[in-house]
Amino acid sequence: MAPQLTHADIQELLGAYALDAVDPDEVTAIDDHVRECPRCRSEVVDHREAATLLFVGAAAPEGVWSRIAAGLEEPPPPFELPTPISIRRRRRPMRLFAAAAAVVVAVLSMQVVRQDHRIDQLAALSDQRGLGQAAAAAAVMPGARTARLRSDDGSQVVDAVVLPDGRGYLVRAQLPQLDRDQTYQLWGVIGAQTISLGVLGSELTITPFKAAGRLTALAITAEHAGGVVASAKAPIVQGFVATT
Amino acid sequence: MRMTQRAVIRARVIRLEQWRRRHTVPEDLNQSSDAALIVAIARWHEDALAEVYRRHAGAVVALARRVVRDPEIAEEVAQEVFLRLWTTPDRFDPGRGSLRSWLLAQAHGRSVDRIRAETSRRVREERDARQAATAGYDVEREAWDLAVADRVEHVMTGLPVGERQAIELAYFDGYTYREVATLLDTPEGTIKSRIRAGLKRMRADLVDTETGQPWHHS
Repeated sequence: MAPQLTHADIQELLGAYALDAVDPDEVTAIDDHVRECPRCRSEVVDHREAATLLFVGAAAPEGVWSRIAAGLEEPPPPFELPTPISIRRRRRPMRLFAAAAAVVVAVLSMQVVRQDHRIDQLAALSDQRGLGQAAAAAAVMPGARTARLRSDDGSQVVDAVVLPDGRGYLVRAQLPQLDRDQTYQLWGVIGAQTISLGVLGSELTITPFKAAGRLTALAITAEHAGGVVASAKAPIVQGFVATT
Repeated sequence: MRMTQRAVIRARVIRLEQWRRRHTVPEDLNQSSDAALIVAIARWHEDALAEVYRRHAGAVVALARRVVRDPEIAEEVAQEVFLRLWTTPDRFDPGRGSLRSWLLAQAHGRSVDRIRAETSRRVREERDARQAATAGYDVEREAWDLAVADRVEHVMTGLPVGERQAIELAYFDGYTYREVATLLDTPEGTIKSRIRAGLKRMRADLVDTETGQPWHHS
């Protein structure tokens, strides 16, 4: 559990934090604080820029680029329309929550295009400073719909808000940080299709996304870093988007 | 069957769009801002990633070498950092500093992870011993290391001894501030303050003496 640190405690730790020299439990507490405190965030930026200055002028080494170029991921394969799978095809009535699980797990194996979404997400992230305020404002906008994504056992919860134009935010994301070689990936159900709404990284924060259509459900999976175009993994959390 | 026809047409359109994006390279990449390069990377332009590499890989590799003290592992770290940028460019948040500092933070985190693992520490000691005994160490690499080391040394010696020690142990040797406090037999609070004060002093000195811009690139 993250220690209770005051603002002054955290300020004193900002230098060590910028150099990756604090303990993991402190990292969590400082991450949370820095996200909300512009002054401390600015100081961390300054410290990291200072460390960067040590290596000004170092030339890019030969040889490494060829290995990187060889490892570049190809663009995603062409989109193919998935076979619609409807909840109504289930033989037995299911509880709403279980039905959402079935739909999401089934359609996550379909081909999706994530190229456009990563561009959309990038554009949305271009101004992170106001993201918290934007998400808070979105939650009270006319027509905003909310979703509560839960894990099977209910221990993990992520809240989302979706606007009529398809923009949305993950506003309360309390999932544990993944290993560096893993990432969370957000999926949305629009009609009978499931699409990737973004590769979110190993740590969830307030995250914007955009969907080209009316979302009926959201889910988050854990994938290898970089995300996937098709996932067969069971969602960590999932839930319907409210209809009103 | 209209559904099938629409699917085929849509697939063709998307293929064409992918081809266009991949083969329409932005002009004057070397004049583009880092932000513009990130957008181009999001559109799968390899040339944009190559330009980011040209600008920042030197610093990324130099930092990784300084921390892991092994050229091969440092290059692996750099490879991971740039591949991560390729796969998830949206992880770079321009509101939290320059692209260079983000890349270096990524490289540092990965480098520290490697040396903090207990097995890695043992490997590092063995490797250090092996390197010391290797007469034919890559001359080009050695010269490159020395050039970077000279600059780092020059900058660090401008700091008061206590601040320099704390920053070197934390940043270059991967120790936490608590470990640094133990190593130097100094209160943790003092170490925290020294690291913070040293970074502020370093920034003030370097911005004055360099360019006035902390993130200019070669």
